[in-house]
Amino acid sequence: MSYIVATEQLSKRYGSRTVVDSLNLRIPAGCVYGFLGPNGSGKSTTMKMLLSLVRPSSGEVQVMGQPMNRGTRRRLLGHIGSLIESPPGYGHLTGRENIRLVQRLLDLRDEQIDQAVRTVRMQDQLDKKVRDYSLGMKQRLGIAMALARQPRLLILDEPTNGLDPAGIEEIRDLLRRLSDGGVTVMVSSHLLGEIDKTATVLGILSGGRLIFQGTRDELFAASTPDVLIDTPHPEYANTQLKGMVASRLDHGAVRVSGIGDQTTARVVAHLVGAGVDIYGVRRDEQSLEDVFMDLTGGGGL
Amino acid sequence: MGAVRAEFLKLKRSLSWTVVVLLPVAMVIAGAVNTLVSGSRPEDGWHTMWLRSVVFHGLFPLAIGIGILASLVWRVEHRGGNWNALMSGPTSALRIMASKAVVVAVLAAAMQAVLLLTVVVIGVVVFAIPGLPPGRYVGVSLLIMLACVPVAVLQSGLSMLMRSFAGPIAVAFLGAGAAVVLLLAGLDAAVFVIPYALISRATQLGTGTFGDTGAITGGDVASIVIGALVLTAALTTATTQILDRRDTRT
Ligand SMILES: Nc1ncnc2c1ncn2[C@@H]1O[C@H](COP(=O)(O)OP(=O)(O)O)[C@@H](O)[C@H]1O
Ligand SMILES: [Mg+2]
Repeated sequence: MSYIVATEQLSKRYGSRTVVDSLNLRIPAGCVYGFLGPNGSGKSTTMKMLLSLVRPSSGEVQVMGQPMNRGTRRRLLGHIGSLIESPPGYGHLTGRENIRLVQRLLDLRDEQIDQAVRTVRMQDQLDKKVRDYSLGMKQRLGIAMALARQPRLLILDEPTNGLDPAGIEEIRDLLRRLSDGGVTVMVSSHLLGEIDKTATVLGILSGGRLIFQGTRDELFAASTPDVLIDTPHPEYANTQLKGMVASRLDHGAVRVSGIGDQTTARVVAHLVGAGVDIYGVRRDEQSLEDVFMDLTGGGGL
Repeated sequence: MGAVRAEFLKLKRSLSWTVVVLLPVAMVIAGAVNTLVSGSRPEDGWHTMWLRSVVFHGLFPLAIGIGILASLVWRVEHRGGNWNALMSGPTSALRIMASKAVVVAVLAAAMQAVLLLTVVVIGVVVFAIPGLPPGRYVGVSLLIMLACVPVAVLQSGLSMLMRSFAGPIAVAFLGAGAAVVLLLAGLDAAVFVIPYALISRATQLGTGTFGDTGAITGGDVASIVIGALVLTAALTTATTQILDRRDTRT
């Protein structure tokens, strides 16, 4: 498989604090990579290192098969569009003037500019001053400015932050369209729900460490959902399981966490042996949210 | 060239143009009001006018004016996501620093042109000084504009480094003060080391004030031109290196 971004043991330390710890990111070309993690987990710092805005304390970044560093960055950055932390834009200029700036700076054709503006549906808002834009409009203008150079890779840091549900849906839809058009998108969020359905590959960061990386299916497979045992005597059944597995009562059923198929069979046999009537054993429905909370310890979300 | 054109586009609706016009006009008018209030007239005609405006302007206000212009030009880059956007594009640090410096230098040159024009208008209209100012003032003004270039590079570098608007302007004030002291002490070689000394020296050229002899020699002109070129090259290299090595903040 070819990776458009790959890092080796990428780390950043500020003083004695390690804020990004030995990341081995693998972003397949053509995917939408959802980069998830609670606030302060190191998402922005990582993205800045991918763009060489911040130099790693140790480790390496490869983008499009080339090392990304201060010597190579300008060449590579011509193919990368990005939006880090807050959207860019000169408030005293109109949207159109801001876009024209980018056009002059990068020597772009009118069609490239028009297409970028239409992609974010900003063509009717360009005569307002950016100072008077809503946050959502600033985000979209920022994305248009990033898209104008027709990048192969788009790095967006929390583009849905502070947007209303309609604005969030609009960004999601935009990411899908870009991905269909062949752009690899890396998008971060501290809210799983915001990129859940758009991301094809997920990387989950917690305390600067990558605790999961893979597809959504792989994520489900990585964690075992709870087993729910239905019985007319849940209290009795629960006491029978004490010391054997982690169990608790849940709405008239017994919930057992973290057990595989073999242990499930042993648990059922044990309960039957103890004279408990069992009329149902099932795995709980697990949402991606649960898995995420599970992995990140539910902290700070 | 694209980077320079982009920089000029950013000046639209900018306060910079107000500074370019108001600062020199205010300086000349203040000088004229002083003269009028004291009940005197510029005895030496254009020479007195020149001393009270251009030379005085070159002591502190010019450096401070360039400082203000540089801070205005960089202020927008320190806002929101603009810094990250600027540094995550394909434009090299050299092109970024050079285009910013060009803009500040052009604004400084415009400020000098406004100053010259105001001197002539006030001289003719308010003081009815006979005849037009000597032609060498134009040549000296061009030299002053050239001398402003390394100051523009330095102030632009300071405003790139500091988010504070006033910080770099304070540096300009202190630098101009140091330059005055050095020139008063007759240390003309300061023009090869301190850009602020270069603008003071250029504005004093041919006036017989401070360390100046009153005559404009080829050596004087050459030292200003060489000082400007050397300092511009050195400061551009230094500020470019700093920008390229620097990590983004926040
Ligand atoms: N320049 C810096 N100096 C010191 N600490 C920093 C700096 N930048 C970020 N941090 C710290 O690194 C951690 C990760 O920050 P960040 O990458 O912004 O996280 P996220 O984007 O996931 O919210 C935070 O605790 C933050 O305080
Ligand atoms: Mg962040």
